[in-house]
Order: sequence, then structure tokens, then C-alpha cells
Amino acid sequence: MTFLDQYKKQYINRNIQFVVIDLQGHILESDQTFIELKEGDLIYDVHPFFMSFSAILDATQASITYNCVHIEVQDKEFITDLKIFKKENHVLLVIYDLTEHYLDYQSIAQARNESIINSELVVLKNVELEERERFKNAFIQNFSHELRNPLTSIISITNLLEGTNLDNEQRQMVDFLKQSNSNLRLLLDDILSISMIASGRLQLRNKVFNLYDLLELIKFTYKSKTSQKSLRFVMEYDHKIPEYLEGDRLRLFQILTNLLDNALKFTEKGTITLNVKLNQKRANKVSLRFEVADTGIGIPSEKSNAIFESFTRLETEDKKEGVGLGLSIVKGLLSLMGSEVKVESIPGQGSIFYFDVTLIYALDLASKPIEKIKAKPIDVSKLKGHRKYKVLLVEDDERTQTVLFKALMETALFYIDLVNDGALVFETVMNNSYDIILMDVDLPNVPGDQITKLIRGFPFKDIKGIPIIGITGNVFKENIEGYLDDGMNAVVPKPFDFHELLETIIKHLK
Amino acid sequence: MQKSKKIVILGHFGVGKTSLIRRFVNDSFSDNYKVTIGVHITKKIVEVRADESISLIIWDLEGTDEVRMIRDAYLLGSHGVVFVFDVSRPSTFQGLSQDLEIVAGKTQGIPLIVVGNKIDLVINDELQSLLKENDIEANYLTSAKTGDAVNEMFTYLATILNDLS
Repeated sequence: MTFLDQYKKQYINRNIQFVVIDLQGHILESDQTFIELKEGDLIYDVHPFFMSFSAILDATQASITYNCVHIEVQDKEFITDLKIFKKENHVLLVIYDLTEHYLDYQSIAQARNESIINSELVVLKNVELEERERFKNAFIQNFSHELRNPLTSIISITNLLEGTNLDNEQRQMVDFLKQSNSNLRLLLDDILSISMIASGRLQLRNKVFNLYDLLELIKFTYKSKTSQKSLRFVMEYDHKIPEYLEGDRLRLFQILTNLLDNALKFTEKGTITLNVKLNQKRANKVSLRFEVADTGIGIPSEKSNAIFESFTRLETEDKKEGVGLGLSIVKGLLSLMGSEVKVESIPGQGSIFYFDVTLIYALDLASKPIEKIKAKPIDVSKLKGHRKYKVLLVEDDERTQTVLFKALMETALFYIDLVNDGALVFETVMNNSYDIILMDVDLPNVPGDQITKLIRGFPFKDIKGIPIIGITGNVFKENIEGYLDDGMNAVVPKPFDFHELLETIIKHLK
Repeated sequence: MQKSKKIVILGHFGVGKTSLIRRFVNDSFSDNYKVTIGVHITKKIVEVRADESISLIIWDLEGTDEVRMIRDAYLLGSHGVVFVFDVSRPSTFQGLSQDLEIVAGKTQGIPLIVVGNKIDLVINDELQSLLKENDIEANYLTSAKTGDAVNEMFTYLATILNDLS
């Protein structure tokens, strides 16, 4: 071999090997470029790839190419392209060693596939989490609904009991019962609020309201609450803040009372302060900062995020009441308002919770109707002298039946018929004459909203026009709107206050 | 000379084709996912009955979500097909019936086994409803990780191929 041949062999085509094989699979020649093949050996024995050699011979094509075939020979692994050319009495096998090229490709494919699989798994995980969240919220909503019936009975019976002749000890017990009922109702409302926020079903209801009135109500309430613990309550607000603003008064009240209750819970001495500052007033928008400061136990910095999660409570020496929903509700409500609650705290010295909200302010607001809440005494005078009204009570829950029956009878204004099955309502209504129907929604056989629709579609005016008051534990806005659309005149959510129900009944009696 | 049968393992990438083969051939498993590019070929002698065995030549093909793009050369001379999907990743079985139709067209009537792999990642009730919802009839439900049904699946195919020849 000349020098030139040697140089050529060294630098040219070092990655291509030519092999000639007879039709029985014996190796006839090999240039041994990178795989040592012994003449006379069967190609089938070199690597399992060649076990399909006979199939290749049987194929109709004159040449076949295999790309990216991994071949391990003599303890070395090559990634190759193989071309097989069929000649008259032999086969030419050309092996290209493309190991380097394919290893580069493999790292690209690895990154691509991993990225696709990971993003698929993230999507699946999210779907799973959303499903769990949906299930949890549905469970909480059903659970709270189921609790409303017995709670309605307890509250109503407590109210009835309060009106009876009681000695001092019994009255103290009733007061305790009322306080416990109120706590239970607030807890139920909190659970419902958090599940509605989480499921996106809670919507803000912005209306014009008097901020000063709201703050004064809070001041009155918390002066009393703090004095019971020998604490001081201080409220300060900037009088440049417009009095009338547009926003969700109820939810702002809920946020502030949750923060104040939280401060009250963790403060044993000193002062609780509510401070409202004007950040800025631009065009028709007013940005306000609300701060609730306390001189309580404070929060360790590592816990300052966790306290806003549902069912999280600070570990304290004396176990505090509550299930840890208050701050989570604050966080959720402020998020709906496009804001967030922040906290600064020094353990042992106290905490300041603060947030900014933007409310609408317009110059002509003073002329707009203002939402005012006034407790009005129930006016039963219009019923006096009237014959007794005939009420159909449609309710399957025995406790609610008893409570309503007793409470309505005590007014001496009503005759009451009772039906506890949705399927019996229509027949009862046809055979009697009622002034009003009190209708539960979740009834056996036919639900109350369906019965209402049927009654409203009835051809006789005296039946289709009977006022129907819904009484239900399904307290979501869309539920109530649906029942009103079905033809109910009003809906009273459970647990209801009997006075509220009576007021609604009187309003709709003709 | 011992009978040898070529089988190809097909399916989307990441469904565990290589892991199934590794479990069957070496009785081992690794959680590290290494992409297969091109084709790896291994051989295993499988005893189909007492005193009767065949040499199974297993072609482990690069996974693809475009089954029609599988190179015909890889399928040349195949005696059986295993089509694998991942029970925990819907994208690997949502087009299963179309994928199987394409494979059947490319392999012309040779035995085809449908395998749902990674059953260790889903609970049985969910798995059954998932198969029902997607109208999937898998011949074998396997786990390369735990070894569930892996040997049975390959041995079943080997037996069929042995009996056919």
C-alpha cells in the first residue's frame, strides 16, 4: 500500500464500511473499517438485526435503507444507517457509522419529549386538582345546606322558648343557646363564603353606601366587644374620605369584621385600632387604605403566608376558638376586589393587617338612593280583623314543620295545612283554597321549584295567582334567582329568622 | 435451527416500550426516561411449551405520535406487533383506534397485541372507567415497573407466533 493509500484510508470514509454477503448469509468480503467481520461467518450471528436478512432478500425492492439502527458488536455500540443492495448472486451491505450525529439528535429528542410529557402531566395534574376542588366545594355546599334545616329548627325553637315564662337560670341558658346558635350560623356562613369564593360563584354586588355609617356601626360593635375583654378600641378615619361611595358594602364589612375578630381573638391586653386613610382621589375613584392593628401575640415571620390559607390556625398556648377561615375569606374577598391583604408583625408585640381598595366616587352620589338598613317592627295591623289566612306549608323536614307550625299558629293569624311530598301538592291546591303557600324546594318526588312552575301555568286565576314563598337551604344567588324566575314571589333562605319570614308572608298576602 | 420471530414494539413516545422489553429480557427497571431514537434490537429465547422454545427478535422502535410516519423498512419481515399506550397519559390512547388501523394496514394481518402500560400509576377503578369511556379493548394491562403481566404478554405472543408457523 502506498503512502497515499494509507493517508486516504486514515482520513477518508472512516465511517463507512462495505461488506459483501452471499445469498445464504455468509460474509464474503469486508473492508473492516470499524467492525471486524470474519470472512465465511454467517451475518445472522453478528447482531440480531441481521436475523431479518432473509426477509430483506425476499423483499421486492433492489435496495433497502435502515436509518438509526443501534448495533452492538465486539463490545462497542454504533448507531448506524444501513443500506442493503441486492445484486444477482450476492448482497452489498453498506454500514454508515453516524453515532455522533445521532447522539446529538438524541439529546434534542430527549429534551423535546420530556418537555411534551411534562406539560401533559401538568395539564392532567391541574385537571385533577380542579376536580378535587369542585368535589370539595360541592361537598361543602351540600353539607352547609344539610345543616341549615336543623339549625333553622334550633334557632326558631330557641326564639319560641325565649318568649315563654322563664326563670333567671333558664333565661341564662337560653341566652347561651342563642349565642351558640349565632356562632354556628356565622361558622356556616363562613364555610359557605369560602367555598363560594373558591368555586368562583361569589360575585360582588356594588351599590352606593354610606362609609361613615358602616364605620360607626363597626365602632359601636367593637367598642362593646373589646370592653368585654378589657381592651381598648380606637377607630380613626380621614374626614377627607367621601361619605358616599360605591362598592360591596356587605363584603367590605365582612373583611373588616373578620380582621377585627382575628385581632380580638389574639389580643389579651392593650388596644385594637381600625385606621382608614385616603390614599388618593382621582377622577371618580377613591383609593383607601384600611389598617387593623393589635397589640396581641404577633405572628412568626415563617407563618405570615400560611395564616391566609383555609383551616390554618396559629398554634397558641391557649387553644383559640374557630376553624381558621376568617383570614382566608379576607384574602379571597380582597382578591375579588383586585386587592390583597398584607401583614406586618412582631411576635410578642402585635400585628398590623392592611389592604388598599379602590371604590367609586361620583359628585352626584348624594342624590342617588342610599342603601340603608333599618330594623322595622312587623306591622300586622293590616291583618287584624281579617278572617284567618289559609296557609299551605309544603315541607318534608319534620323539625322545620314543627317549628313553623307552632310559630304560625301562635300568631293566631293562620290556618295551616301541611304537605310533605311534592307529588301531593297539586291535588291539595286543586281541592282547597289557599291564601299563600310556603314551599320548601328539596322535596320528595317533585321539587318545589317544579311545582311552582306547574302552579303558575295553571289555567285558573285563583290557583295560578297564589303567592308562593320559597323556603330553602339552597342559598346561592343563581338558585334564588332561578326560583324567582320559576314564579316564586319571594325566597327566604334557611336558617331563617321567623320575624323575617313573617314579614315576607305579610308582604305577599292579599 | 431454532425458529426465530421478529416482533416490533410500537406506540407513542414515553409509553414505556423500552422498559417493557428491559423488564422482559433483563428483569430490570429504571425510572430514568431515556428516549429511544431509531431502533434497538434484542433477542430472547422464549419457552412456549415444555421442550419447545423460539427466539424472539424484539425491535424496539422510536416512539412517535404519528404512527403513519413509522418507516416501513422497520416493519419488513415482522411476525407480530405489540402496540403500547400509557394508561396515565390520555394523549397516548385518545387516537388508539385510528393508530391501530394504520398499524394493521402497514403490517398486513400479522398478530397485533394492544397493551396498556404503567398501570401502577392509576387505581384500578379509574383504569376500568377510563378504558370504558374511551372504548379501549387492551389485550394486556402491564406495569414495566412492577413487572405485572409483562412476561405473560410476551410469552402469549411468542406462543401464538410459534403456533402459526
